[in-house]
Amino acid sequence: MKRLSRLAAAIAAVALVAGPGASIAKSITLPSDGVQMKASPLPGYAKAQANCVACHSAEYMLYQPPTAPRGYWDAMVKRMKTVFNAPINDADMPAIVDYLVKTYGNEQGK
Amino acid sequence: MKEDTNRARRRLLAGGAGALAAVGLGSLGRTALAQTPVVDLPIVNGRRNLVAYPEKRPLIVLTSRPVQLETPFDVFNQGLITPNDAFFVRYHNAGIPTQIDGDKHVIRIGGNAVGKPFELSLADLRTRFKPVEIVAVNQCSGNSRALFSPRVTGGQLTNGAMGNARWVGVPLKDVLARAEIRNSARQVTFNGLDTAVFGGGDFVKALDVSHALDGEVMLAYQMNGADIPMLNGYPVKLVVPGYYGTYWVKHLSEIEVIDHEFEGFWMKPAYRIPDNACACVEPGTAPAQTRPIGRFNVRSFITSLPNGARVRAGEQAVVRGIAFDGGQGVREVAYSTDGGQSWREAKLGEDLGRYSFREFSFAFTPERGSYELCVRAWNRSGQSQPMEALWQPAGYMRNVVERVAVTAA
Repeated sequence: MKRLSRLAAAIAAVALVAGPGASIAKSITLPSDGVQMKASPLPGYAKAQANCVACHSAEYMLYQPPTAPRGYWDAMVKRMKTVFNAPINDADMPAIVDYLVKTYGNEQGK
Repeated sequence: MKEDTNRARRRLLAGGAGALAAVGLGSLGRTALAQTPVVDLPIVNGRRNLVAYPEKRPLIVLTSRPVQLETPFDVFNQGLITPNDAFFVRYHNAGIPTQIDGDKHVIRIGGNAVGKPFELSLADLRTRFKPVEIVAVNQCSGNSRALFSPRVTGGQLTNGAMGNARWVGVPLKDVLARAEIRNSARQVTFNGLDTAVFGGGDFVKALDVSHALDGEVMLAYQMNGADIPMLNGYPVKLVVPGYYGTYWVKHLSEIEVIDHEFEGFWMKPAYRIPDNACACVEPGTAPAQTRPIGRFNVRSFITSLPNGARVRAGEQAVVRGIAFDGGQGVREVAYSTDGGQSWREAKLGEDLGRYSFREFSFAFTPERGSYELCVRAWNRSGQSQPMEALWQPAGYMRNVVERVAVTAA
């Protein structure tokens, strides 16, 4: 009973709000990516460009805490392939991880 | 204009957690600037662009693609309801629908635990059921993740991945009543029109069948009296009052009642919390057992004063804020002006329902000096907020007592 009265207080039935309201066709245009991957002489840079940004923009890397260790970047690259089916060559993964951790993670400046 | 931007940025840099309150977003958004306006969030590596996405005012861009937008914190001081154009956005995959004809939208209802699968048009949802209305907070599981210490990886959000809206829709229970649910039903899964670029990791979520049928979980087609913005899930969004936003599936297009536990990526291993009472572990360690994230814990925020604010000595300032929890409702908010040494009761404001933000306020007449304001809320079952932050590796559920430094001069 107590639960019922609480429920009644939280959910008030709406009498007239909706009616047979017509919904509309919506169309939007999304802005382009706000940031690009950081250029680097590391061999993984071109490979990361070819793979990572096919599915997502570079803020995903750029905004990670600079304490993010190699294990994090390695796990993410593997996740992109195993979970999201990103067509990354296994042979390219170490170079991509190396670029990511040295550009965005805790091996910056190494 | 350039000067205004810089001034705002300096204030932000000087500020801290609440310092976004200082930015004049309106003027930034309307003026064509050569450079994208930015904010500096009070974290290491916290510079972000401010961009106006479709149907949105300039918001803090966490990621452009898939789009994730954070609400500038000053919005929460402008009213208990978060405007649609300021409401945060969080997608998981970049296949975001950009064109939807609401008149043609259909939700397929099926699964191996229904006797009568059917297709529900949006028109039928609007006209053939009794609509209900609820004011409810939606909060991202990772709201405030960037404030964890030690830092954790993932979307680096400060406190703006939350919002409070008035939702109109139909209880899921009423819709599923037409599907003849079998006794074998264990969970209900929800999928939307957004897709994963290479097919893997489609965003699908699940609720236990008892929860799905509780009469509160709702198929919403209206948000704050208008159509739901595209980026918040037009034309129909699952509303799960009191639960983290991960369950609030956008562009809802498929509901399945199934006879087993759903174990898609976004239920397992993603969006899991330590399976213990505090949903926490020692910083830097991993939990032995996890469970899916569930209800919000209790939170409260001062909204009227950013961290680092200056007020006039000898004059009364009325300090305002918001509190909320996972659906018990806020019973009490206490405040301290001495960093938590002593506490008094704040005055609660208008009650828009137990899932809504609840306003609180207190009067504060400081003498010259420095103060640390703290607020701490309790819900109706006595749950509250920890004085020291709890930690978990995924950075979910932050709810520490917030502190705002104020100088009176």
